[in-house]
Parts: sequence; C-alpha cells; structure tokens
Amino acid sequence: MSSTERTDGDNGTDGFVAEWRNGAYNCYSSGHKFCREVCPVMQVTRNEVHTPTAFHANVVAMEKGLLDIADVARDYVHCTGCGACELRCPNTLFTGDFYRFRTRTVQLVKAARALAVDQGIHQPGWQRWVEETSRQKSEPVLGAEVPVSQEHVRDWAAGLDLPIGGETILFCDCEGAFHRTSVPRAAAKLLQRAGVEFGLMREQWCCGGPAAEMGYVDRAREFAKHNVDDWRAVGARRIIVFDPHDYISFTEDYPSYFGDEYDFEIVLFVELLAELIRDGRLPLTHPVERTVTYHDACRLNKRKGIHAAPREVLRAIPGLTFKDVDHVTQWSYCSGAGGGLPIERPDLTAEISRRRVERAAALDVDTLVSACVWSERPLTEQRGALEIMDLLEIVALAAGLEDER
Amino acid sequence: MTSTLVTDPVIDELVAICGPDNVFADRSSRVNRARVPAPFPVHRWAEHVPDVVVLPTTAEQVSEVVKLANRHRIPVVPRAGGTGLTDGAVPLRHGIVVDVKLMNKILEIDLDDRTVTVQPGINMLKLNEELQQYGVIYPDDPASYPCSLVGGRIGTSGWSLIGGRYGHTRDLVISFQIVLPTGELIWVGDGGGRKVRKSSTGYQLKHLFMGHQGTLGIVTEAVLELVPRPEAEFAAFFSYPDYETAWRSTGALAKSGLATLAGVVLFDEWKLDYLRRDDEAYIPQPDDVRCVVATAMYGTTDEVRPGAKRLMRIGKDTGGAYLGDEISQGDWASRHDRYATPLHGRLRDGQVVPMSWHCEDASINWSQLPQVRREWHEIVARLGDNFRIFDDWGMFAYTNAAFKPWGDYLTEIDVGIWEQELDDAAWDAWVTAKRDIAAVAIAHGGSISACHGACRAGEVDLVPEELGGGWDVMKKVKRVLDPLNIMNPGKYLLDEAYE
Amino acid sequence: MIGFRLSAERPPDPRRINDVVVQRLDHVYEVDPELMRDHIQQHDFPAWDTRRIVDSRWEHLAWMHAHWADSVVSGEELISTEE
Repeated sequence: MSSTERTDGDNGTDGFVAEWRNGAYNCYSSGHKFCREVCPVMQVTRNEVHTPTAFHANVVAMEKGLLDIADVARDYVHCTGCGACELRCPNTLFTGDFYRFRTRTVQLVKAARALAVDQGIHQPGWQRWVEETSRQKSEPVLGAEVPVSQEHVRDWAAGLDLPIGGETILFCDCEGAFHRTSVPRAAAKLLQRAGVEFGLMREQWCCGGPAAEMGYVDRAREFAKHNVDDWRAVGARRIIVFDPHDYISFTEDYPSYFGDEYDFEIVLFVELLAELIRDGRLPLTHPVERTVTYHDACRLNKRKGIHAAPREVLRAIPGLTFKDVDHVTQWSYCSGAGGGLPIERPDLTAEISRRRVERAAALDVDTLVSACVWSERPLTEQRGALEIMDLLEIVALAAGLEDER
Repeated sequence: MTSTLVTDPVIDELVAICGPDNVFADRSSRVNRARVPAPFPVHRWAEHVPDVVVLPTTAEQVSEVVKLANRHRIPVVPRAGGTGLTDGAVPLRHGIVVDVKLMNKILEIDLDDRTVTVQPGINMLKLNEELQQYGVIYPDDPASYPCSLVGGRIGTSGWSLIGGRYGHTRDLVISFQIVLPTGELIWVGDGGGRKVRKSSTGYQLKHLFMGHQGTLGIVTEAVLELVPRPEAEFAAFFSYPDYETAWRSTGALAKSGLATLAGVVLFDEWKLDYLRRDDEAYIPQPDDVRCVVATAMYGTTDEVRPGAKRLMRIGKDTGGAYLGDEISQGDWASRHDRYATPLHGRLRDGQVVPMSWHCEDASINWSQLPQVRREWHEIVARLGDNFRIFDDWGMFAYTNAAFKPWGDYLTEIDVGIWEQELDDAAWDAWVTAKRDIAAVAIAHGGSISACHGACRAGEVDLVPEELGGGWDVMKKVKRVLDPLNIMNPGKYLLDEAYE
Repeated sequence: MIGFRLSAERPPDPRRINDVVVQRLDHVYEVDPELMRDHIQQHDFPAWDTRRIVDSRWEHLAWMHAHWADSVVSGEELISTEE
C-alpha cells in the first residue's frame, strides 16, 4: 500500500504521521539512543540527523508542524536497512515481545521514503535505478553500459542443465544473476550434489525489495505479483533463496502484500545447507586451507536472528581455520551495501566496507566469508590483501565442486 | 524558531573555521539538536531550536568558534551524546550548538602509566571494545553506557553504576583540555602533569570544570584511567518482605568493607509493582517479594569468590532471600544500559500509553532514605491525582560515593509522563512537583542532584538555597570566566551573575 | 522444518497468567491485549519475531557479562558449597 492510498489531502503527511506517531513517541519519549553506536551510517558520519532517533523524532516534529517531509527526505537516505537500531533498541530488545509492539525503524524509513516519492521528492539515483529495473525486470547491476535483460537472466546457469518449474524453485537475485554468478552456480551445484530436486522460474523478475526500500511501493508490488504468479503457474510450493535481501522480501514484504493466500514455503539456502551437511547428504571432503572470519549478513543476523547456521557450515569444512567474531558484536558491523545506500551515497558504503574489512584484517585471516551476495561487491572493492568469498563458494570448494583458483 | 544573531556572514565565518561539510543551518539539523531525554516541554519545542550546528574536528576549531561567538555575542551550547537527564545540552537562547561527535578518536593508549587519551566524542562501550585486547577497561558505567560520550560525562560529572569499586567520572578522568568561555585552550587536572592522579599544586581546577553543564567551556581532549579488566563478576539480588528490612540490609551490605563491592541498589515497593507490569524476571515472583536489593562485585577471582561468600551471608543474615542466578545475573547485565521504556506507562484504568521516563535524582544519606521516600511518593501521588498523564514508577537508591559506598545514596524517583498529552498546565504542575522534590532533598540534608545536574526547571530555583555562600562564589567564577555570558546562557540561573 | 510458512507464524491464543499478563509461547510473557486497546495498539507480530527478540535479549545479556569480566561467579554455586 503506498502512502497516497492511506489518506486523503495534505499529500499523505497526515496519514503518515497518524500511522507512525505512537511508534515515534515510543522512541522520542525514551531518547535512549542505544541505536546510535551500532548504526553503520552513524559510525561514519557522526551526524545526529542520520540516527534512528532523528528518524522517529522527525515524525513528532512533523506532527508539531516543525518539519516537513521536504526538510528530511534526504536524511532518510542514510540507512542501510540493516536493522541494528531496532534490535538494539530497548523498546524491542527488552519489551518488544511483551507488548507485541517494537521499534520498526526500517519500516519507518521505507514509509518516509515512500511519502517523499508520493510528494514528488525523488533521489535521482534511486529514481533511475527503479525505472531501469521496471524496464529490464532486473536491477541494473552492471551499470549504464551493460544492460541486464530477461534474455540473460539465466545465463549464470549455462551448462548446468537446470529444469524450469517444479515444486521447488531456486530464486536467484539480480546481483547473483548478472554480477557475481559464481554464487548461484555454487548454489545450483550444491543442490544437485545433495540430490535436491529443483527448477528455475519461467520468467524471473527482481524481487521488488529494492524498489520498496527506495519508496517506490507500487513498482515493488508489480514485481511481487509477477513472481508469485510465475510460481503458481509452474506449481511451485517451495522457494529456495540464498540472498538475505530476497529472504526479507519473501518473508515480510510478500506476506504483507498477499495476506493468507501467500502459502509458499520459503527456505533460506544456508539453513538448508547446514541441514544437508548435518544429515550427511552433502559430504565435505576437500580440505580448504584457508584462515577465515565470517561477516554476519545484517538481514540474517540482525533482522532474522540467523547466525548459527552459517557458523555451523563453516565449522564443517575440513582444513579451514575459522576465527569467529560473535554475532552480537557484529550487530554494529555492516558492509554498507543495503537500503539503496551504495546508489545514493557510494562514499559512505565504501567507508563502511573499508572499516569492516579492516576489522577482519586485524584478525590475521586471509579470507572474509559473507553470506550476502550484495555485501561482496563493496567489500571486494575495499579488500586490500584479503579475499572476499561467499559462503556457498567456499562450500563448493569443500564439496569438490570447484577448484581453488 | 530562531534568533537574529546568526546572520549569513556569521555562517560564512563558521564555514571558514570548520569547513563547509561541518556547518549545518538546515531545519532538520537544528530541530534534531534541541532536546535530550530530560523532561522537555515538547509542546514548546520551537523555543529550543538552535540557529546553527557545527561539528568541529579539532580543539582549535572549537576554540575559534567560541572566539567568534564572543565577537558576535552569540550563545554557544555544547552537545556530546545528548543523553543527559538534565537539560545541559538544551539551548535556552538558540545560538550555536557545538556538537563534538566527530571528535571521537583514541589518541594514545599508555599501558605503562595506565592511561588512554581520547577526544570527547567517543563512547565508553566502543572505547572498551578497543581496550579489551590489552586487558584493561575504562569503567565509567552510566545507564547510558552504550551511547553517552566522554565529553558529556565530564560536562555533567556523571555517576557510574560500579563507582563504589572504581570511582565515578570525576575519579576516572585524570585531566582534560577545555576551551574556556572566551576561547582559550587550557589543560586542567590535579596539578599540571597530564597523567598525574594526585597533586597539591595550586587550586584544584579539575572539579571546577566538571559538571558545569556547558556553562564553563567545552572539553576537547581527556586523559582517562585504565584499570585491569575484571577476571570475575558477581551479582546477587535479594528479596525482602518489607522496606524497613530491605533498607537496613542495604546499609549492612554497603558497610561490609568488601573492597570488590561495586554497588548496592535498593528497589522499593513501588518499583517492584512497576517491574511486575512487564519484566519477565519479576512477573513470576511471589507476593511476599516486596523489595529487592541488588549487589555486584568485580575484581580478581581470588578476591571476588570469598568476598561473594561473605556478601551472601550478610544478605541472608539481614533478612534477604537470594533470588537466584537467573534474575541476579540477567537483571544485573541489563543495568549497564537500563533506560526505562515508554510502554511501562499506565493510566489509572490500566491502559498502556507511551510515557517518557523522568528520573528525579538526589544525594540522600542512608539514615534519611525512608522519610524522603515517603514524602516523594506523596508528591508524585498528588501529581497523578490531578493529571492522568503522570505515573509513579517507583524508587531506587544506589550507593553513591566512590570507593566507600556506605554514607549516601543516589536516590531517584522515576515518573512516567505521557508527553503526547502534555500542555502548559501539566508542565507547570510538573515543574512545581520537581521543585517540591528538590526541597525535600535539601530539608533532609541532601543535595538536589547526585549525577544528572540540578539545572532543570523547578529544581534549579533551589540551587542558591542548597549552595548558600557557595552560590555567590559560583556566580563570581562564571562572570570572571565568561564575561559576555556566551556559554550556555540562561542555564543554572547564572544570568544572576550579570545583574 | 527449516522453511518459513506464513500460516505457521501465527502464535496460539493467549492463556492468562495473572490480571495483566498472558502467555502464548512457552516462557514468553505478554501484556494482556485488553490493556492496549484505547491509546496504543499492538503490532502484527509473527512468532519468529517474538523468538528472535527473546533469544537476542539473552544473547545480549551474555555478551554484556563477557564485555565486563572474564567470568561470572554463581551465587547458587556458592550456596551449595557453603552447606
């Protein structure tokens, strides 16, 4: 639902304030600011208008007539959607479950961005990105020069002989399909090795998550509707995803769009992988002589509480030396790749990634392993002496499906 | 929403000093630096919006900004974490907010002489994450531990949860650099050596420049104490059937003389009722758990284990029942970042409303605690009788002194306020209640504030009464150091210094 | 089952613990929903989110102990060795 549909008059501001005022006061009234030092953007800019506290206070200020969305639309760009703030907020961590009312900064940021778009306030990079995605059906991850297209959406699977359709679908996100194709290839080969039957979609479009995050809600729903229709058309009941961003779209956005009729089982690859290894269906026989640390994907660790499965997988790899940093410490870590930040503030994404790589390098490791394909590009750009690998890439080595380069 | 002092040429000068990326005059930047979690008249937010915000990166920039402010007679309000429970960082006359958050570097870790030198915008938890690898810790531990900043801790002279063992901010900050209200940069400490903890040279200026709520300058660098990282932590929570027994037990525990004792905290019956509303540790407790006393110890394992045995015995012998490891360890761990959450708020019909947390703190001697508690609850009950937006959230009493935690207590009464419904009548009643609460503290030989500062509306009226002749000295000091009343004007009634 | 299913995320109906507290999931107290009727309304709260918050809370508290000290001495253990 876009914010123009929520209300009449006043360009949707009244409806926005009415919907968010209690949540905003829940932050404003406490003023803890425990979000601040875990926020990856705030750690870099140190600017209070980029804090989740300000994102909520702005709603109160709008109610009091002190601010308008035009005053703050650019501030709301400064969020990766990592979810650290809302988890670390005492209103979530200590009382969210009790009251069934928690801090929802990520949703608030999306709603504020949607309000801006509804009022004709566009961030040029995001506007272009969403237009291109609408035109090509996949995100323009290869830049202006190399268009992506439906024609090439399955190129990554060349030679793997994957069927179309079936009860179980492997969904491949845009970054994996066109940029880091080694990740979906590893995913497909691992499933084949473990004997999991699966197919691809007839016509896969972007999940719509990025458009929703950038405030283009109607566009996001178009993508979602197409994908769900495609799943239904081939009789799919189970969707496997390896990208945490897709996982959020399919387990949070899609249910909010489609309600109870949304009856698909959504399986996160890394959790399936841990089970396959545990059950002996995927033997890891090839030693991987690397010293690694793990980068907790924000959307798994902070937004879903998924941090054990990737560690279980890494510990099952023979030959590997795993220097772990616990997942609570990593609530304040991020690659800066989420929430559209790299499109509008590439400088901040680069600095957030640089700091993340620096922390990994201090552990004396040779490889930083991530489970989020979107994080891997900015991390690689800042990698220095480290190699940045996806968890699936390294497991493919251990399963003997790929060779060390 | 603004004063007329900050003109475009002034902003140009600020840009020349701090750089174009670190000067903000847009509405959002200003509106979002008007308040702190202290009681705030949200219905009069516009009165507190600054004219311009700067984020300097060096002490020299801060100095130049203050000198500029003196030339143009523009108010300057320093802002660090903005987590204070008094309103030191709230602009009363608009002006320039000097926000030090970009100054957050660790400048030196000295493991020989056990100090760390930092800029004022660094947070203690983040600092300790860096220090952990060296086996040392900077143990300044307020309820805002994960978010408040060193500069604000000095500006408010904060209190630490484990100050009974390691001292409070004033004991843990060895020396610091400060920009005076006229712009000069000086270092103050105990004497002149930046890493010297005890000196008898000259006046003791360090204390003068702590807790002034931004009225005497802006800290730009600080040398902090490093203590050995504790090998062992011990927390024990005891329950009691009545306040009298719990209060006596608190006194016995605090007077135990155990060197590793970091603090003793007394929860009264109102606090227990409040915790039973929504806290998983307290909901299942039987009805005869009426009051609780929490204790904690830190140090080497060789000291903590036998000390803990002794502490357990004292708790038991004075009528306490140990509440078990889960609540003791779990609740204690949560107290390093324990701010109230708004949904604790209840109307008298039981309905949940989001209330802001207002903590009235005072320093009260142990002998006076029962009487102060009675009178404070009466004040808050009257407030609630007249306005449904107020809710009594109970009282804590924390051991207050550094290293010898037996004499006086940081005594707080927590009051929920439903800010969405706040208006002038309720605000005026609240300010009156705060004045009454402060008057009770003074009448019982205490002090208006143990750790937040006493410059909030209402209570500030009684500061001259509490300080007596000291108040005249305070005004003289202010006028000499800040002849043009530039630093945080209007705060602490210090306009009187210029009458 | 490791997958997400929307239909599995609806928590059971609450059972009453006392006048103001109910319980839907084991060991998880919740406010009586009647008390969030007039002024503030509860969110739609999938079961995974409740579990995530409860787990995160305990993980955070464990992290905080480890942040402050190398070990935690148990009062229950001291009592049992005393007698």
